[in-house]
Amino acid sequence: MNEPIIKFSHVTKDFDLQSQKTFKEFIPALIRGEQTRQKFTALNDINFTIDRGETIGIIGPNGSGKSTILKLIAGVMSPTKGKVTVSGKVSPLIELGAGMHPELTGRENIFLNGAILGLKRKQIEQYFKSIVDFSELQEFIDQPIKHYSSGMYMRLAFSIAVHVDPEILIVDEILAVGDTEFQAKCFTKMEEFKKSGVTILFVSHSMPQVELFCPRAIYLKHSNLINFGPSKEICQQYLNDHP
Amino acid sequence: MLLLISEIKAIIAHRELLWQMTSREIKARYKQSILGYFWVILSPLAQMLVMSFAFSLILRIPTNSASNIPYSIFLFTALLPWTLFSNSLGSACNSLVGSSSLITKIYFPRTILVISTIIAKIIDFFFATSILIVYLIIYQIPITLNILWVIPIFFIQQIFTLGLSLFFAAANLLYRDIQYLLGLILTLWMYLTPIIYPADIVPDRFRILFQLNPIAVIVNAYRQVILGGGEPKYSSLLIALLLSFATLLVGLAYFKSREKIFADNI
Repeated sequence: MNEPIIKFSHVTKDFDLQSQKTFKEFIPALIRGEQTRQKFTALNDINFTIDRGETIGIIGPNGSGKSTILKLIAGVMSPTKGKVTVSGKVSPLIELGAGMHPELTGRENIFLNGAILGLKRKQIEQYFKSIVDFSELQEFIDQPIKHYSSGMYMRLAFSIAVHVDPEILIVDEILAVGDTEFQAKCFTKMEEFKKSGVTILFVSHSMPQVELFCPRAIYLKHSNLINFGPSKEICQQYLNDHP
Repeated sequence: MLLLISEIKAIIAHRELLWQMTSREIKARYKQSILGYFWVILSPLAQMLVMSFAFSLILRIPTNSASNIPYSIFLFTALLPWTLFSNSLGSACNSLVGSSSLITKIYFPRTILVISTIIAKIIDFFFATSILIVYLIIYQIPITLNILWVIPIFFIQQIFTLGLSLFFAAANLLYRDIQYLLGLILTLWMYLTPIIYPADIVPDRFRILFQLNPIAVIVNAYRQVILGGGEPKYSSLLIALLLSFATLLVGLAYFKSREKIFADNI
């Protein structure tokens, strides 16, 4: 079980931000030889290793680099310096339903989103009923999803994502939406994943949730990794910093 | 070349996604419109009628000197593939920017976003072609076996389109000026391509310009094999093929070199 599935070694991620927003500002700055780009460090020399089957909470104030870490793990960004090693299929739940198209029906979106998450058509057909059942959206499945409420939207997206058979599940503050009943259902599903050995990364601002659900947690602040350890201690430290 | 092979492999591995993205493109487009998909036939038809009126009745542009093909068919044979080309480029240019939410969240071969928009345009094109076929029948244009040449010509066109699309899509993601620039380029390009006029009224000293413009060669070749019933000019077609292939390799190389920073810049 103690085989690393995610490894960050000396990972730094910089962004270039254009300082001058308009052409009118940009040209004079260029002529005067001022700097036209500003560097912003989102992650600074981050090192950690996550083993297969672990459930890790990621906490930190807004803008501390949580999402950047998740994006590096999902493979959509590459680090400026250092190395990110991920050995498994990632199912991202970052801002659910990224690939949803509002004009398409729930049914069409299940197929579209399933394909985006890497499912074969046969697999989607096989899981279809179970996805719809989990989402409890049977009556609305042939409606364009632009008519869905945000809760319904999230339920559909979550239902698809949990059927992907992920090795690494990224859950980014999604449980803030949806009613209590559905939240409980999501947690039950995630407990199941935990038992079956899926690695889960859980981003949340709710310390009780992190303490309850994750044995260990990562604390990020100002682009630096402050601490990585048992979630009880880490959450306490976070609460001390942010009374 | 290696890049091309590995990219093709990646796309084949993700073919399900390519298929779903293409059908998303087609299904979502004409939702909530009464005429729906009929628009893909209606708009080129209307464009052709207006242009025929302006250029043949008012400006009296001749068609091919030897034949007496009606101007509307003459125009349409070139206008259809041109519209496919310019629509493909236009939508491919915005395909990455329009899918920013996907690019920042999930990894998959980004070329799929470009290719799926192009395939959707090709499907539109096939529907629009039905008007041309009806026209050819009504005017009893003699068709020879040479018409089969449209298949390789079409492939050359798509290689060229894809190469340019990859370049413009990646460039537009980094600098949004590109989409406006592309609009300008396409307008000028259309007039520099023998679409509304026949290639043979162009003075000889400008011919070289058309040789080096793959779209001009392609459009001309379509006319030769569909309306003229002859064979295309092989030397020109070969140059167009080589240029198109080179464009594809350069476009793909640029796309792949920028791909890593797409999510940072979108």
